[in-house]
Amino acid sequence: MVAAPELSSTNLVLDRPDTFQVHTRAYMDADVFAAEMGRIFGRTWVYVGHESQVPAVGDYRTTTIGRQPVIISRHEDDQIYVLLNRCRHRGSVVCREELGHSNFFRCPYHNWSYANDGALVGMAQASGYPGDFDKGEWGLRRAPRVAVYRGLIFASLAADGPSFGDYFAPVQKYVDWWLNRSPAGTITVLPTAHKYPYPGNWKWQAENGHDGYHGNYVHESWQRLLERAGEAPVRDIRKYRTGGCTRGFAFGHGLLERPGGLNPNASWTGRMMVRFPEYAEALRATYGDDEIEQISARRNIFVFPNLYLFDTQIRVINPIAVDSTEVHLYVYGLDGVPDALNQGRYRAHERFYGPSGFGSPDDVEIFVCNQTGLQASGVDWVLLSRGMHRERVGGDGEVVGHSTDEVPVRAMYREWERLMSA
Amino acid sequence: MTMAVKHELTRAAAEEFIYREVRLLDTLELEEWLALFTDDGLYWLPIEDGDLADAADAVSIVYDDAERRAERVYRTLHTPVLDQSPRSRTVHMVGNVEVAGADERGDMRVLCSQFIGELRPGGQGQVGLNRTRVLAARAEYRLRATPDGWRMSMKKLLLLDADQPLYNLTFVI
Ligand code: FES
Ligand SMILES: [Fe+2]
Repeated sequence: MVAAPELSSTNLVLDRPDTFQVHTRAYMDADVFAAEMGRIFGRTWVYVGHESQVPAVGDYRTTTIGRQPVIISRHEDDQIYVLLNRCRHRGSVVCREELGHSNFFRCPYHNWSYANDGALVGMAQASGYPGDFDKGEWGLRRAPRVAVYRGLIFASLAADGPSFGDYFAPVQKYVDWWLNRSPAGTITVLPTAHKYPYPGNWKWQAENGHDGYHGNYVHESWQRLLERAGEAPVRDIRKYRTGGCTRGFAFGHGLLERPGGLNPNASWTGRMMVRFPEYAEALRATYGDDEIEQISARRNIFVFPNLYLFDTQIRVINPIAVDSTEVHLYVYGLDGVPDALNQGRYRAHERFYGPSGFGSPDDVEIFVCNQTGLQASGVDWVLLSRGMHRERVGGDGEVVGHSTDEVPVRAMYREWERLMSA
Repeated sequence: MTMAVKHELTRAAAEEFIYREVRLLDTLELEEWLALFTDDGLYWLPIEDGDLADAADAVSIVYDDAERRAERVYRTLHTPVLDQSPRSRTVHMVGNVEVAGADERGDMRVLCSQFIGELRPGGQGQVGLNRTRVLAARAEYRLRATPDGWRMSMKKLLLLDADQPLYNLTFVI
C-alpha cells in the first residue's frame, strides 16, 4: 500500500452542518492522487468487468484496479479469477492484450507459464531451480477478494475490510431494478466500448454522473435537438428534469433518479412497453405494477469508487494521474427483449454518449474547464453544499435530496474523507 | 430524351469528389456537405472494422443516417454547443485514392487514406485547447451516380485509434 502523506479530513473536506467544501488539493495534488490509489483503489471493492465479457472457459480481459494491471480470467473450473498481471519472476506483465482466449498466460521475458487461475505450471529451463522449488508459492497473485453480483465482477486488493455484502447493500435494490429491465434479469455487454480520455481528475466524472443541476446549461444544445426532433419542447424537458430525487448512501454510493412509471411520456422503459407489447407482457408476467414503477424509473447509479450504471451502459472511471482520466462506456444489451428494442437503445446511446455523441463531450468540456479553473489557487475550496438545508432521511437511512442537489457528491466525499484519513 | 446515368467513375472524378467533400468540412460548409449524401446514405465511424450490415447490432463512434447527420450539423451550427465552443479547425489531407469496383447495389467503392489535423483555439492556459491533433484514417466511400452527379451512399472512416480512448470528436470528421 502506498504510504499516505500527511492528510487529514479537516484539511481536504470541510463538512459542517451549514456548509460542505472540498479542497483544491483533492483534485490537483499528485500526492493526494498517490494516496487515493492506495487508500481507496487499494482497499475498497472496485468494479473490474462483467461476466458476459469472459463467457467461455479460457476467456480473459485485462484491466486496472487504480493503476494496477490485472487480468479477469475464466478458469476451467468456470470460476472468475482476478489476477495481478505481474510475473512472479522479475515482474513483467504476462498478458498485453485487451481481451482474448488462451489456455495459459506465458511471460514474454523468460517464458514462465501460468494457468488461467494463476497457478505456476512451468518455468523455462527448470533445472536452474532446485528440485524442491515450490511452484505452489509462485503463482500469479490473486486479488484477495472477488465478488460477482448478477454478473457484475468486483475485486478488492485488501484481504480485510467491509464484506462485499455490506458494501453493496445500500444500492442492491436499485441495481436489481436496473437489471430487471431485462425480462431474463441479465445483460450482455457488447464486445467494443466507447472510451474517452480527458486531461482532468477522475473525480470530475464521479461527481458529474449523478449531478442533476447542470443539465439545462451544459446540455442546452441537446435539449434544443430534442425539441427540433419533436420529442419534447425545451420547456417541458426542464420541467421534467426537476422531478425525481438524488440519494446519498453509506460507502460513498449515490444516485440520480427520474420518476418512473407506466406513463410513456415520463419513462423510456414505459415507452418501450408501449412500443413492444411482448416486452410489456414479459415484464408483467414477472412483476406487479409497483415493481414496474421502480424498474422503469431512470437512474444513474454510482457505486464508489469507479462504477456508474446507466440506461445504456456500464461506465467505468479509470484514474491515470491526478490530471488524467480514461472513461470507458460498456454498452450492453438487455437479454430477452426484441432485437429492435436493443438496437433502439444502441442508437440512443450513440446519439448522446461517446466521443462523437451529442451529450457526453459537453460534460467532458466541463471537466477540463474545472481542471483549468482550479489552477487559480487563491481560492482554496469548491462548494458542494447545495440542498443541505432541505435534505431528508429516506426509508433505508439514505439521504434524499432534490434532483438538483449535491446529496450524492457529499456521500462520496464523506467516504473519501473516511478512507483517506483512516 | 432521358440520358442513362453513367456509372464509370475515374480516379480523377473520385478525387475531385472527395477533395470537395473534405474541403466543405474544413470550411464548415456543413449544409452543403449534407447535400453530398444520398437520402439512404450513412456516415459511419466504426470502433472495429466490419460489415455495415453488422453495425445495427454494435455500437459505433458515429453511425449517422440522414436524420442523425442533420442533427449533427444543426447542433454544430445552430445550438449553443459547449464541445464545439470554441470550434474545431481542421485540415484534411487525402491520398492513396483507388476506385475499387461496384458494390452489390451498383455504387462505386472508393478507398483512400486521410490525415486530419484538428485544433480548437482558446485562451492561454486552457486545458484541452490550443493543441493540434492528427487523426489518421482509412476511408471508404460508396458513390452513386445520380441525375445531380455523384452522391455518397456511404462515408466510412476507420480511425487508426478507433478502439482507443478518443478525446472530443464532435467536429464532422
Ligand atoms: S520476468 Fe517473467 S519469466 Fe522472467
Ligand atoms: Fe451531463
